[in-house]
Formats: sequence, structure tokens, C-alpha cells
Amino acid sequence: MDLIQNLGHGFGVAFTLNNLLFCFIGCIIGTAIGVLPGIGPVATISLLLPITFGQPATTAIIMLAGIYYGAQYGGSTTAILLNLPGEVSSVVTTLEGYKMARNGRAGAALTVAACGSFFAGSVATILVAASGPLLTQVALSFGPADYFSLMFLGLIISAVLAQGSVAKSIAMVALGVSLGMVGTDVQTGQQRFTFGIPELSDGVGFVSIAMGMFGIAEIIINLERPESRSVMSGKVGSLMMTRAEVRRSIPSVLRGTAVGSMLGILPGGGAALSSFASYMMERKLSSHRHEFGSGAIEGVAGPESANNAASQTSFIPLLTLGIPGNAVMALMVGALIIQGIQPGPRMVEAQPDLFWGLIASMWVGNLMLLVINLPLVGMWVKLLAVPYRYMYPSIMIFCAIGVYSLQNNVFDVYQTVVFGIFGYLCSKLRLEGAPMLIGFVLGPMMEEHLRRAMLLSRGDWGVFIERPISATLLAIAAIALAAMLLPNIRKSKDAALQEGG
Amino acid sequence: MKLNAKDLISAGLLMSFAAVALWLNLDHTLGSARRMGPGYMPMLAFWILMGLGGITLVLGLFNGPDPIETWTPSEVWFLIGGAAAGTVAGLAAARMPGFASVGWNPLGIGLFVGCMVASIVPSWRPLFLVSGAFTLFGIVLEPLGLMVAISISVILSSFADKTHTPLGVAGLVVFLCVLCWAVFIYELDIRVPVWPQF
Repeated sequence: MDLIQNLGHGFGVAFTLNNLLFCFIGCIIGTAIGVLPGIGPVATISLLLPITFGQPATTAIIMLAGIYYGAQYGGSTTAILLNLPGEVSSVVTTLEGYKMARNGRAGAALTVAACGSFFAGSVATILVAASGPLLTQVALSFGPADYFSLMFLGLIISAVLAQGSVAKSIAMVALGVSLGMVGTDVQTGQQRFTFGIPELSDGVGFVSIAMGMFGIAEIIINLERPESRSVMSGKVGSLMMTRAEVRRSIPSVLRGTAVGSMLGILPGGGAALSSFASYMMERKLSSHRHEFGSGAIEGVAGPESANNAASQTSFIPLLTLGIPGNAVMALMVGALIIQGIQPGPRMVEAQPDLFWGLIASMWVGNLMLLVINLPLVGMWVKLLAVPYRYMYPSIMIFCAIGVYSLQNNVFDVYQTVVFGIFGYLCSKLRLEGAPMLIGFVLGPMMEEHLRRAMLLSRGDWGVFIERPISATLLAIAAIALAAMLLPNIRKSKDAALQEGG
Repeated sequence: MKLNAKDLISAGLLMSFAAVALWLNLDHTLGSARRMGPGYMPMLAFWILMGLGGITLVLGLFNGPDPIETWTPSEVWFLIGGAAAGTVAGLAAARMPGFASVGWNPLGIGLFVGCMVASIVPSWRPLFLVSGAFTLFGIVLEPLGLMVAISISVILSSFADKTHTPLGVAGLVVFLCVLCWAVFIYELDIRVPVWPQF
């Protein structure tokens, strides 16, 4: 079978010494930032983007992916032991996980989180492998108009699912698209909005925006908040689960995997949303739902499986269609483009090493994470003893060196400062940075497809409704928008995101 | 009236951005829908941004109240003062001979002076000392090298957090210098001056 042959090829790529090493480094860094609150995968990946340029594209993406799903593992550790979510996606894990720890079952909670994540990760890996070539076939029949509508849908859904006001999120998408217009016009070579600054002729620096809005702004916000760290509750206890706990958690893991895999594919979905959805589902469906609130193992097993499944299936739209669904995927697009690879449906065929190697490495990475996390839990918790006053200058210096080394130009450093201050302002005004980043990445691609589509249709805007694929995609976008106008749905979304991040 | 201050300010920000951008876009040929010129897509994007800003504005009149933290008078004045001082310093630096006007130094000096003036107010320190330290890194890096740049920007940024001790900062500087040398110079071999150049 083709799939098995391809996966074999992928494992061949993933098992080269260099790729294994970088997968391991990615997983270690991912776990570390997952444990540490105050720095998330988006900031870390933008921080490390410049470092990966010296590596081949496959190795770079393997490492960056490892950071993303590694953070999902690490986030659960502190959520369970310290009632302190290291990542937004593990906020709901604190609800039941910390209660379990107080009941002396911390070990079991950690085990079910890690094993559930591993199972979900394995299933999601297979799903990515199977759906990749399939979706690619579909995508190859897309015309420029269909592509434009697809990206439009992606932007709308990522804004609709973002936190807070939908109008503001879509406005941030539009702001991102607008910023994407800076630079040389591809077709005529005219300089747009560059103010005669040569550094801007390639566009506003992508890494500068990401580092400024998610790295520097984040540090400043954290510094303004007084530091609060809870004390660890008792000992970890035995890592072994009892027979009853195993029996109870299996259906939850299965349900969590299913929910996470589906929500991960949605643009704007990703880990945080799916862990919350899974928690809500467990509270309704579990046969032990009366125990929720006092340390039910289902409340750990479901969400932890879901967030890991989602963090992997969110690669599907990126790898098959070239469309980033969340801010981390937008960074991946940036990494690929800087490496000279245009993400899109041709990637599976043109870059088999990258596609299959990444999939295989995800599974290998999950296995590594299981080993990194379970026996070494104590070591990761000690990381929390490092006070934030030592962390923020380090993050700042790494950002500064990284952004300078992009082009050996201090202009990028100043650009990052400006976006840092802007990011701070945005977070004070509750304007979301993630939709802006996605808009910024997709904007130039959308312009290209729009121009091509209109050229082919001889200036007839009807082409977007006449082509069935495009019409369907636009209809879905319209429904998603309309759904948000219904007060009931909007309220439950707000409630979900308030708790789930 | 339930005014949502955050939404109203956001809307103002977005709409003024769109207005300025639309004005700048007058320089570019629009072309027709069939043959789009360089100005067509920007025009669409900016008008959509303008429209969404307008929707946010209207919604902000009703979905509040959501007040922003009010700034104290000193915060406001030092912010304005910082902006003014930064602009003046940047323009002055551009006219000065020698180091101050080379390359992007005027921009860096302007940003740095602005941040420093604003950070006289303690409550602005997290924002402007971190930004200022970041800028200082950019100013110092090329003439004085990586080690000096790391040291002085870590020391400057350490004033943003009151719990720092001199010994802790010194330890952090040494640690970061060694770590960055090992990672960026020894391992990755990036092209950056390490020591001061005369």
C-alpha cells in the first residue's frame, strides 16, 4: 500500500541522526515552555525561527512542530501538580487534575494525561498521513477563485473562534491583511507603503511582528502582574493507575481524541478550544459525571487527549492546502517561505521528505515526550523555581539576537520594539494578535489569487458564486458569521473561551 | 448609554489607520477589476478595515460598560513628553555628524530617548524599560559588540522589576553572555561583532 510505503519513507527521514536530535530538542524546549507560565509556543517558535535557518527545511519544521505539541504535554504537568496552567490549552485540566492531586492521585493524573496524549497523538498522526494525499487531490482541482474563497473562509473562521468581540477580531484580520500589503507589488514591481525605506521593500518583517506582539508584549504584561505561584500539593505519588481508573479513562480518551482531531482541523480551532470542548462533553456524557468537581479522572483524560490530537491535526490544512489555521501554523508558513518552500497542495508531492518526515517525526516525538515527561516530572517542576525576573531578560536578549541575525540589520530590532509597544496596546484594548498574524500571512496570497481569478473571469465578480467549490466555501463563511449574530451561540462561545482560553 | 471605552478606542485606532492608509494609497494606480493595479487590493483591504472599525464603533456605544484603567496625569504627561523628546532626539541625531546619524541610529536613538523619558514614571517602567533596553541593544550591538550589548541591556531591563538584586543581575549577565556565546557564536556562527571594535 502507498500509505505504508510513504510512512516507511517518512520514518527513514525522521530517524536520521540530525532529525532525531532536533526533534528531541524541540520536545525538550516544548515541555519546558509548557511548564513555564508566561511564555507560550507562539513566542518560543518566533524566537527560535532565526536559529532554524541554518538547518534544512525538514529539520527546522520537525523541531518547531516538536515545540508545539511538546508544550501540550508540559502544560498538563503544572496544571495537575500546582493548579497552574502552563498553557491556555491546559486551563481545564486544572479543574479535575489539581483535585486529583489533592486526593493523592497526582501520579495517576499525570500518567493518564501522558498516555492519553500519546494515544491521541498516534491516532492524529495516522489521520494526518491518511488525509494528506486525499485532500491534496481535492485541492489540486481548485482554481484561483476557489483558493481565494478558501482563504477567506479560513480568515473568517479563525476570527469567529477567537476570543472576544467578533467585529474586533475580523477587524484585526483586516489590519493584518493591510500590513501584508506593504512591500513590492509582485506584478508591477511598484513599491507600496514603503516610505522609501529599502528594508520594507520585502514587506514588514514577519518575525518582527510575531516576536513583538507575542514575545516582547507578553513579557511586559507579565511584568505588570505581580508574581503568584502556588505551592505544590503533597507528593506525586505512584504513577501507576488502578484498574478502575484505567477502565474509566479509556472511553474518555477515545472521545477526547475524536473531538480534538475534528476541532484541530478547523481554522482557528487548535488545542485550547478542543480541550475545553472535550471537558464539556465529558461532564455531560461520562458515567461518573457526579464526581466532576471532586477529581474525576475523565476530566483529565478527555481534555489532555483532545489538546494533543488537535495540535497535530491542525497541521492538516497547512500541509495540504497551505492555509494556516492558527498563529502557530502562521509561523510555520513563515518558516517554510523563508526556507524557500511555498506551502500549498503541491507540497506533498514536491517535498515528500518534509511531509512524510514531519508526520513520522510527530509519532517519534510523542514517544519521546512520554519518556521525557513521566519519569522526569520532578525535574520539570523544579523549573518553576526559576523566578520570572531571571526569565524576562533572557527572553528579551534571545529575541534581540534572533531578530538581528535575520538580516544582520538593526532596523529589524527597532521594528520589533514598535510592534512590542503596539502589541501591549492591543492587549490593553482586547484586540487579538493571533487573527492579525494569520491575516498578515494570508493577505499577499489572497491578493495574488484574487488578481488571477478576476483576470480569468474577465473582471466578473460572479465567478466566486458561479464556481460550486467557491460558492460552498463562501456559504460556510456566511453561516459561521450569521451564527455568531445569534445571541445564544455567541454567549456559549464566550463562556467557553473565557474558561478555556 | 453603556459606553465600551475599549471598543471605542480600538475603533478610533483602526479607522484612523484605515484613513491614513487610504490616503497613502492614492499614489497607486487602481486599475480595473479585470486588470488590478497595485492599489486595488490595498483599497479593498483598507475599506473593509474602515467598515469593521465603524461596526466596532457602533457596537461599542451599546455593549459596555468596559472602562479602561485611567492614567494618572503624570503618566499622560510623561508619555507625551517621551514622544516629543524621542522625536526631537531622533531628528537632532540625524543632523549630527558621526555615529549618531549613521544608518538607522537616528531611529534607534529617538526610540531610546522616548522610552527613557516615559519610564521616569514607575508605572510605565515595565513597558518602556523593556522596550528601551531592547532598543539599546540595537544601538550598541554593531559598534560595541554582543557582550557589551547583552550586559547593558540586561542591566537596564532589570530596573523594570523591583525584586532584582545587584548580585543576581551580575550573575544573569555572566550566564547570558556565556550562553549566547556558546549558542550563537560557537554553535550557529552568526555574523555579529562579539567584542568592541575600534
